Amino acid sequence: MADEDETKEYRWESGYEKTWEAIKEDDDGLLESNVADLVARAKRKRAALKATGAIQLGMMRHLFVVVDASACMFLQDLKPTRFLCVLKLLEVFVHEFFDLNPISQLGILTTKMKRSEQITVLAGNQKKHIEALQHLKDLSCEGEPSLQNSLERAMNGLKNMPAHSSREILVLFGSLTTCDPGDIQKTIKSLKDNNIRVSIIGLAAEVRICREIAKKTGGTYNVLIDDHHLKELILSQVQPPAVAGSIEASLVKMGFPGGTPTLNDGTSDSSADHAPAYCLCHIDSETSSLMGPNGYNCPQCGSRYCELPVECKQCGLTLVSAPHLARSYHHLFPIKPFVERAQVPDATHCFACAKLFVEAETNVYECENCNQIVCLDCDLFIRETLHTCPGCASDPVTAQMKTN
Amino acid sequence: MKLNVDGLLVYFPYDYIYPEQFSYMLELKRALDAKGHCLLEMPSGTGKTTTLLSLIVAYMKAHPLDLTKLVYCSRTVPEIEKVMEELRKLMTYYEKELGMEQNILGLALSSRKNLCIHPSVSKEREGKVVDGRCYSLTASFVRARHAADDAVPICEFYEGFDAHGKEFPLPPGVYNLDDLKEYGQMKRWCPYFLARHTITHANIVVYSYHYLLDPKIAEVVSKEISKTSVVVFDEAHNIDNVCIDSMSVKITKRLLDKCSNSITILETTISNMKENDSKRLEKEYKRLVEGLRDATIARETDMALVNPVLPSEVLEEAVPGTIRTAEHFVAFLKRVVEYIKTRLRVQQVVQESPAGFLRDIHTKVCIDRKPLRFTAERLASLIRTLEISDLTDFSPLVTVSHFATLVSTYTKGFTIIIEPFEDRAPTVSNPILYFSCLDSSIAIKPVFNRFQTVVITSGTLSPLDMYPKILDFHPVIMTSFTMTLARPCILPMIVSKGNDQVAMSSRYETREDTAVIRNYGNLLVEVAAAVPDGIVCFFTSYLYLETIVSSWYDQGIIDQLQRHKLLFIETQDAAETSLALINYIKACDNGRGAVLLSVARGKVSEGIDFDHHLGRAVLMFGIPYVYTQSRILRARLEYLRDQFQIRENDFLTFDAMRHAAQCLGRCMRGKTDYGIMVLADKRFSRADKRSKLPKWIQEHLKDTLCNLSTEECVQICKRWLRQMAQPFSREDQLGISLLTLEQLQSEDMQKKIQLRAQGV
Repeated sequence: MADEDETKEYRWESGYEKTWEAIKEDDDGLLESNVADLVARAKRKRAALKATGAIQLGMMRHLFVVVDASACMFLQDLKPTRFLCVLKLLEVFVHEFFDLNPISQLGILTTKMKRSEQITVLAGNQKKHIEALQHLKDLSCEGEPSLQNSLERAMNGLKNMPAHSSREILVLFGSLTTCDPGDIQKTIKSLKDNNIRVSIIGLAAEVRICREIAKKTGGTYNVLIDDHHLKELILSQVQPPAVAGSIEASLVKMGFPGGTPTLNDGTSDSSADHAPAYCLCHIDSETSSLMGPNGYNCPQCGSRYCELPVECKQCGLTLVSAPHLARSYHHLFPIKPFVERAQVPDATHCFACAKLFVEAETNVYECENCNQIVCLDCDLFIRETLHTCPGCASDPVTAQMKTN
Repeated sequence: MKLNVDGLLVYFPYDYIYPEQFSYMLELKRALDAKGHCLLEMPSGTGKTTTLLSLIVAYMKAHPLDLTKLVYCSRTVPEIEKVMEELRKLMTYYEKELGMEQNILGLALSSRKNLCIHPSVSKEREGKVVDGRCYSLTASFVRARHAADDAVPICEFYEGFDAHGKEFPLPPGVYNLDDLKEYGQMKRWCPYFLARHTITHANIVVYSYHYLLDPKIAEVVSKEISKTSVVVFDEAHNIDNVCIDSMSVKITKRLLDKCSNSITILETTISNMKENDSKRLEKEYKRLVEGLRDATIARETDMALVNPVLPSEVLEEAVPGTIRTAEHFVAFLKRVVEYIKTRLRVQQVVQESPAGFLRDIHTKVCIDRKPLRFTAERLASLIRTLEISDLTDFSPLVTVSHFATLVSTYTKGFTIIIEPFEDRAPTVSNPILYFSCLDSSIAIKPVFNRFQTVVITSGTLSPLDMYPKILDFHPVIMTSFTMTLARPCILPMIVSKGNDQVAMSSRYETREDTAVIRNYGNLLVEVAAAVPDGIVCFFTSYLYLETIVSSWYDQGIIDQLQRHKLLFIETQDAAETSLALINYIKACDNGRGAVLLSVARGKVSEGIDFDHHLGRAVLMFGIPYVYTQSRILRARLEYLRDQFQIRENDFLTFDAMRHAAQCLGRCMRGKTDYGIMVLADKRFSRADKRSKLPKWIQEHLKDTLCNLSTEECVQICKRWLRQMAQPFSREDQLGISLLTLEQLQSEDMQKKIQLRAQGV
């Protein structure tokens, strides 16, 4: 569990690490390796849960990310500081989030000095968020955070979102205390009534109220072990969650702006569509410049945008392209979970990465379709990143069947 | 599940069992087989109660002739209720498995205050008042008067019980206090007397320590419990103090003044009676001539005044002539009270033996030892004769009479200390006479002698070998069980120095040192910044707590602390403390976090649990030695050295460490719980202190955790807290610290359990 990139930092910067203690005999069954074991098992459980497939997933998400900016975020147990580390990982998160959930929206809040501040409003433009995150780096962290204020604020933003979307709040909470103006139980109740799911990632230790909030609103609560684990925890929020309760299915109006202007196929195109125009997403900023003929026009009102997906500023239509929707497609048809097996003697290596199975690995995983055997790491990789089974894909028969 | 414990079929009402519960059953069964006493230590939160109950009930069913009754002594009413709930679960399980009603009767007994259903008496808040009013409605002479004159009020519930209740025993089942009250309401019988009557034939009796240990009560309540019973003292780590308290008397000046008033009342009543009804006094006199035994034909309702243990030969004797008539006795009492008053008029501390006191009282006011011995009996008899129904006023006089009887009965193991003022306020005259019991074995001896098996158990009994010495008995089994855990969920640490390398210690010489106080403060601030939710701190005394807090205030440490958590302080005022506790819990619940500063041996350290988030860390500032300048303590130490060959230092360390262990144990109340235990004193790391911690704590106190500085301690905390915060479910425990029947029966596990049993 020790950091792998330890070499980058000076010895005196790191915590007291007694390296000789890392080598421990495991006879009485209560040593650290056990905890590592628990983490691995939890990983696997999470992956399995995600892959069950039968549940309805909220693909259209509205998510507020609350970043703790209180004094404790200056601590250096994450390098260089907790705050910078979290911001950096959030950038990755924002990117991945829109990659996987192209028709979703995101907003960012911070909390410090017992108050909550809005950094970005709910919007579907990832550039804006990433920009805002980069600006945040200069923010000074001080005072105590307030969970209640930030939750209330996020709730106000989410309350009026359409019922078919999933409403979520993700809190990155470094402090062990919260300074609230009123009874937080009331806030929890109204969060629940509004069907808002709150997930919390703790940066220091288990705080009881966080666990309670997450449990009552149907979210998750996790505490990191080190920065790698933190990354994992943050990225695990990228996957759309199962829909809590029964949200009615409804039709969503979306716009699909036309393709490249050179192909004048005559669907929505008039010469006005390709006249130079200002991009609406950059119109407020000083660097805005006239766009050429490239860009995407809203089919409803004709506003021009430089990139998709985006919510039209003029008429509020969600603009996406077909590939975006296709990318969310795998959420709907996840691959079946692999079966955990004790090591089989005839399979000597992992099918996916060709690693030889060693004695220590007791469990291997088998795809039910193609009966190929993979290791734990590949299993997780397939489930979380690849979304397709290499065995099935490389088998000409099954692959053929799928395309048919 | 059904278990096979060394050939005995035990019904266990849960689907899972902890390995140590099984080992506990094995040891307990051995003790029952041997018909001997045992001392068992098992950490709190591992299901001691249910283990004890299920094994003993199974044993009673299997050997109905060898073991007829279980007497379970607990400390407080909530604890009694908890035991009853476990028992109910067990009996429901039996019924489900065997498909028929079980012929076992279990009941809880508490004071009248908790059991009374009389519409007006039950409204009273104070136990003494309830007792007094009950007495005034149910005493035999009141009832006799009622028979003559309907206007005299009596208690209809007692009458109902007296008329019918004795013939119809309680049907088998489990009755807690509320059940008894309900049953009483239904039948219109008095639940208290019903319970007391039922004790003789119930299979399982659950009540407070005092019903067995306090000789004044035990004589009345527990007299008829048969020898073939097993007695369990739960949470018994303080049992020696309970024994001593039950035999000690404290007399203040105010108490003596009240006595004088009572005596005047007695005098007037006697002279009135002489005029109106002199026959009654004569009758009493005659009875006394015949012998004390007959005078106290035990009428159960007349129990409000009972004598301390008198050797039975004394009871056989007749009351000495000098105190037989009522006037003589009252005059005698007056002399005793006046004598004690003169003794209280001292300028310096006096310590003397009971024998010395007797000699002095003889020379000064010509009172012999023999009449003194009968004082308690004689007073009880007189009050009965005078038909005084309101007893509350007489309790000071009763205290003095107990003192007189005790001082003349026991010459060994007691001492008398008269202090003219308190040590802390030497200018305020506040004379107190302590009649102090030094030998805890006196009160408990009858219990050990009478019952075939006495089980002494608690979460913290270490070091085990001290208890047999101070209670003077020979256990057949002495075992300490550890807690099997799937993850290292306690983190004990000894912090011996601050970041500036100044040693931390509450030693008398350094306790005023600002560097030490500042280091303690820094430790608390840093721990408060790293540990979520609730933190409980224990100091060695209220005085020390106050001085430390005031200098922390000057040093700005309080300000720093309040940035992280709210601060609450335990005080000597019970109401204030409970208010602080309520707010402490509130602050922990809503995420603000809180620190509670309290005192070892205080109310918080005994009996209040800080489970889960309420106590993520416990800090022990200093070693909680008892106040060593106390004369009572010094007398006791001397006695222990002379009689039991226990060195003073050994006893002091033992006493300090058991209290430290009690405090530390507050934060660990189960296997899913986790907590940090910080021992902030250099001296804890010495072998004589460390080895006296309970085994389940010692096991986790590795050598690397024994000599830490503040910073190291906080680093370890942080890492450990992150590990503990990882998801943890029941499946993770299964097979290691939680067993199904199959797992328990597997050879592997049996071997492990055997090994553990031998390793002790």
